[in-house]
Amino acid sequence: MKRSRRVVLTMMGSAAIGAVSMGLVRRSDCGPGGVSRLARGPDGRLIENCGVTYGGFGGAPHRFHGHGHGGG
Amino acid sequence: MQRITCPERDDWRTTADETGFDFHTIDGERYWDERAYYAFTLDEIEHQIEAPSGEIDAMCLELVACAIGDEDYLRRLKIPESFWPLISDSWYRDEASLYGRLDLSFDGRGPAKLLEYNADTPTSIFEAAVFQWTWLEQAIGRRIIPEHADQFNSIHEHLIEAWKKLGEARYLHLAGTTESSEDAGTLAYLEDTARQAGLATTLIDIEDIGWRDDGSFVDPDDRGIELAFKLYPWEWMFHDAFGRRLAQAPTRWIEPPWKAILSNKGILPLLWEMFPDHPNLLPAFFEDDPKVSPKSIQAVSSAWSILDMVNRGRADDKAVGRQITLGSGGCWLRLTQEQYTKLLSRGRGDN
Repeated sequence: MKRSRRVVLTMMGSAAIGAVSMGLVRRSDCGPGGVSRLARGPDGRLIENCGVTYGGFGGAPHRFHGHGHGGG
Repeated sequence: MQRITCPERDDWRTTADETGFDFHTIDGERYWDERAYYAFTLDEIEHQIEAPSGEIDAMCLELVACAIGDEDYLRRLKIPESFWPLISDSWYRDEASLYGRLDLSFDGRGPAKLLEYNADTPTSIFEAAVFQWTWLEQAIGRRIIPEHADQFNSIHEHLIEAWKKLGEARYLHLAGTTESSEDAGTLAYLEDTARQAGLATTLIDIEDIGWRDDGSFVDPDDRGIELAFKLYPWEWMFHDAFGRRLAQAPTRWIEPPWKAILSNKGILPLLWEMFPDHPNLLPAFFEDDPKVSPKSIQAVSSAWSILDMVNRGRADDKAVGRQITLGSGGCWLRLTQEQYTKLLSRGRGDN
């Protein structure tokens, strides 16, 4: 009736050891050819960037203590 | 429906780790627990859970359609006015949702009741789609459950199909608070399904989304973010510094902004207003509703406020799981799901 398939994962698990950390792209400096300069960040402070401002998302969990198990 | 205790697989932790399910134990306590399972009849699954779920979904969409065109709804939900255009534009553009999770109360003796709708940032999907399935197959193989046992579960295939429609060959970014193993695992799983649907993807932390001077969101490699799945609530995005940039950017978000209405717990009283006495809804009211007695307000709102505390991580892990712990003023009361449902029913009886 309902059972119809086997779940196949291509990236997660031992086939791609630590898929999360391996797949996660972290911010670095300006990258190939990038030229950094100073600019105002979202909070008004001067920060070095490449014409790109970072940190404008992600502040809320520190104020709201995370969205907890199960999501929202 | 029956709850049947059963032995757990002695190697399930190893299996979980190998599958990438590294949040099976959180803060030293079981998050995954397979010492019991629930047995349903096909009628219960198809007619008492699946059909009502479809009906609740339809009611929710009807509510969004009403709220989009009625400022009163949006004010009652306390959605900041500056984001109303973003929300309504996403609705009128018919921006698609990938998934949501309805939390139902169901004991097999009465209709399923909606407890809450995790419409914006639902987790638990890896456990439901993958590890639950692995358990079924291994439990049958080890004679823990009957050979004919089955599982109403096609989440994995449906996710892949949904990505094919949503992706439209666009590059997909997935973002969230990756320091949380639960969120990171959920994102990794969704990325896996997106890739199986043929999408090119990048997974980043929400803090690593950048704003480029030309008016677009970018990833750490300066690639424009055209399509983004975010495991990060809209209500938080609205309050973040980049919130005011949302309307300017061409990024298409999953879940779409109109889901900010449905992820709001205020939809419960609004649904009850729109569909009074619907068998799949529990009575729910705003605190300032004059029709409700103070006693019932106390019963319902204290229960929901505790649930809200749990959802927001303001209560510890002891308050989640199969039991719900209600508390105020240092006095705590632990209830089963059934007792909790009765508590809400008693609130209705007080009206």
